[in-house]
Amino acid sequence: MSLLPKSSFLDRLTWPWKPESSREAGSAVVSSFLLHWFSHRTSLRSLSFKSSMYLGTIALNLFIILTVTGVILMFFYVPSVERAYWSIKDIDFAISFGWLLRRLHRVTAHLMVAVVFVHMFRVFLTGAYKAGDMVRSARHWNWVMGVGMLVLTLLLSFTGYLLPWDQLAYWAITVGTNIAAAVPMIGEQIRQFLLGGTEIGQPTLIRFYVLHVFFLPVILFALCAWHMWRIRKDGGLAVIDQVRRDAANRPAAIPKKSKTYSILGIAKGTSIAVSDPTTLNDDNSVPSSPFLTVRILLVSLTTLAVSIILAIVFQAPLEAAANPEVTPNPAKAPWYFLGLQELVGYSALMGGVLIPGIAVLGLAMIPFVDREQKGLGLWFTDSKGRTFGMLGFAVGIIITAFCVTLSLLFPTRELFSGIESQFFFDFVNPATLLLVLFAVLFFVVAKITKSKRYASIATFCAFIVGFLLLTYIGTALRGPNWDFYWPWQAWPHHPITY
Amino acid sequence: MRKPIPKKELFLLLIAAAITVVAIGAVYVREGVPEWKYYQQEFRFILAENFGDIDATSISYGIQQIWVDELDRVDRCITCHQGITWPGLEDMEQPWATHPDLELFADHPLEEYGCTICHGGQGYALTAHEAHGFITHWEEPLLSSIIGSEYDARDPVPMHEIQCNYCHRYERSTPGLDFINRGKNLLHQKGCKVCHIVNEDGGILGPDLSHEGDKHPEGYDFSNLVSEQLTVFNWHIKHFKSPETIVPGTIMPDMNFQTRDAIALSMLVMSWKENADLPRAYLPGVKLFDEMTAEELERERKMRDGDGAFFFEHSCFICHSVEAFDIESPTNKGPDLSWAPDDVRTRFNKTVEEFLFDPTGTMKIILDSQIPLTDEEKWEAVDKINKAYDIVRNRSNQDQISSSE
Repeated sequence: MSLLPKSSFLDRLTWPWKPESSREAGSAVVSSFLLHWFSHRTSLRSLSFKSSMYLGTIALNLFIILTVTGVILMFFYVPSVERAYWSIKDIDFAISFGWLLRRLHRVTAHLMVAVVFVHMFRVFLTGAYKAGDMVRSARHWNWVMGVGMLVLTLLLSFTGYLLPWDQLAYWAITVGTNIAAAVPMIGEQIRQFLLGGTEIGQPTLIRFYVLHVFFLPVILFALCAWHMWRIRKDGGLAVIDQVRRDAANRPAAIPKKSKTYSILGIAKGTSIAVSDPTTLNDDNSVPSSPFLTVRILLVSLTTLAVSIILAIVFQAPLEAAANPEVTPNPAKAPWYFLGLQELVGYSALMGGVLIPGIAVLGLAMIPFVDREQKGLGLWFTDSKGRTFGMLGFAVGIIITAFCVTLSLLFPTRELFSGIESQFFFDFVNPATLLLVLFAVLFFVVAKITKSKRYASIATFCAFIVGFLLLTYIGTALRGPNWDFYWPWQAWPHHPITY
Repeated sequence: MRKPIPKKELFLLLIAAAITVVAIGAVYVREGVPEWKYYQQEFRFILAENFGDIDATSISYGIQQIWVDELDRVDRCITCHQGITWPGLEDMEQPWATHPDLELFADHPLEEYGCTICHGGQGYALTAHEAHGFITHWEEPLLSSIIGSEYDARDPVPMHEIQCNYCHRYERSTPGLDFINRGKNLLHQKGCKVCHIVNEDGGILGPDLSHEGDKHPEGYDFSNLVSEQLTVFNWHIKHFKSPETIVPGTIMPDMNFQTRDAIALSMLVMSWKENADLPRAYLPGVKLFDEMTAEELERERKMRDGDGAFFFEHSCFICHSVEAFDIESPTNKGPDLSWAPDDVRTRFNKTVEEFLFDPTGTMKIILDSQIPLTDEEKWEAVDKINKAYDIVRNRSNQDQISSSE
């Protein structure tokens, strides 16, 4: 069938999605708006689940579900302290499919935070933030942008947390914003800037609402587009570097005979026969349409199905209406901040300000610390990297568990009971120790291997398990008064009215 | 020509699509067959069975609600409880039964009151479990015999009276509220208001109880309540029966209340909630303080104006009677002050004067923190007590003389 013209209207609309030749597939990505962000061909390595696990695609899908459900919820939700809670009750009980909208919005919000984290873990572990030495790319800047998008995702989730205006919302935001107050000198100003006053009230609600439904999503959406555009500019997924290497090692094909032209002043000789073998060919790649589009359809459908099923199974909690007079015990921040809340228990300044600050800064700086351009797109770089990764996981568990145990058995304030200075305890506590031990891990591995890549892998893996372990402890093992409870220990029974 | 898409890929796609369709189907099923539709369907059958031909259009269909703007309440209870206003369905089981007291609607029109203001529960909800409010995060559960039987299995406590007294709190007695009325009688009999503010009026020795019913469970210390039922209501019952057990060191007297009295008082206390937002129309003919009987007023006037006025003004009478001046303590926690000179001598080996200026025990706490007296006032107290002593001694001498004669 010829490329153009297409006979029927339907054909003209759908042909890019079902090309019948490689040439048509190439034209498709050029002429269809929805396909324009794909390259003409996709390498089989990029296409495989192993390279990317499609985590970025899943995160974007979740963001789209969140946007759609969120916009519909905006028709029903009233951002006022008098009405907010009751409008959520109406959404849950009386509005058609309201329960589904709210549950979907909530479950995908949590999933998105989790998936964005895992996406970051994947990008790090496959070394996908490296520029590469065959074709220099700007992937390191895309990583930095990704760290920014992680922070935006957390802020989006955090601002959304307040909107139901129940006890859970009110006190999670109280805990969260009190952590901000631990910043030296300007902490109280930051807290009041976030709240729009000295305490959570109508100014806070409207502030969080506008950020949640307009500014943050718009910025995140713009960054998503930019992030995607950068991937295309950088030549696709990092694993393409390996495909290039393979291609470079192949014997050069004999130049095709064709007419000779002379391009005076641009190329010497009378032929522009390319000696560089084409990176992508029929053996190692497929046309993006329909191979990549079908794969993305599969991932998107799965994301949607899983989200709906989770929404049917898990109820979105709504506690009693916000009550500034009654503090729930324990009062907890959203789950992804509970690792930090655990550290805040040791020191607000160290756990709430310095460590998250260092973590975000450290994440953003990874590409500039680890500049070894090898193993792009390969998990853990190589088998040695895998060994140090496993070492990092093990060491991370051990030192995190050690620091938590230390805080439980020997609280620093009892250990140094003679000292009164807050400054002292801000720097001498298990959270600082944790930070120092992570740094030690980095320098020891760097010294042994003489490679910052292996040192980064070990430290990052330790960071991952440390983060997971602390989050688990903060979520599941901390009960009333922030006391430690084993999973098999029951929390004290909460009294009720009748 | 291009390569075909792998079969495995298409197979996975098919599965994903199938799961999505099933999940969306499940959503429609959940949305399409709510509990209330079943109840409404059944109600039609019940009407047809009981009343034969009924114009089907007269029965409403779909979610029903009563919105009472003045009370800021939305009650969707009548979505399932459709028989409430239909006489003749008294013997039906819930949710189709007639309201047990239809006459009540004359004074309390359904459209002006709704349901939850009298019954508790979560008016917004549309499933029985959530609407009845027996869920973790709803603090006003349905006050029915279900909860009532938790406090007395054989004869369930009429808990709904608590809600009635939300509006009727200023009435001395309200027809039909047996427990609340019993509680109100005890309130006056035992003189609770000499120590506690109730309805914006009373003493300040104990905590203000005007809004005790709003106090959150977190506000109570449950550490001394040994019970399976960790509830505020149970706390009050046990506290009324033995204040010292629940709050060690309390100065609240043990009045030896029986269980039923303690329950009545607990219900009364739980009913005292902030009602500033309640329009006056919902407190019809009710003065904004609670009435005292002529007898009680007269007794109080006598105490205030008589020779023992000092003991009334300085709140001594809360614990001590003074027989000589006809001062009668509602609690009688301490000994009669008329006999203080003898009493203090035997117990502390001191004169009244020495004791007042250098008290010990409970009196030390009271005089230090609750009733601080100036030196002049202490001398006045000594003077009054001595006078009272003379009076009662003379009386008893005369009694002895008359009896010996």
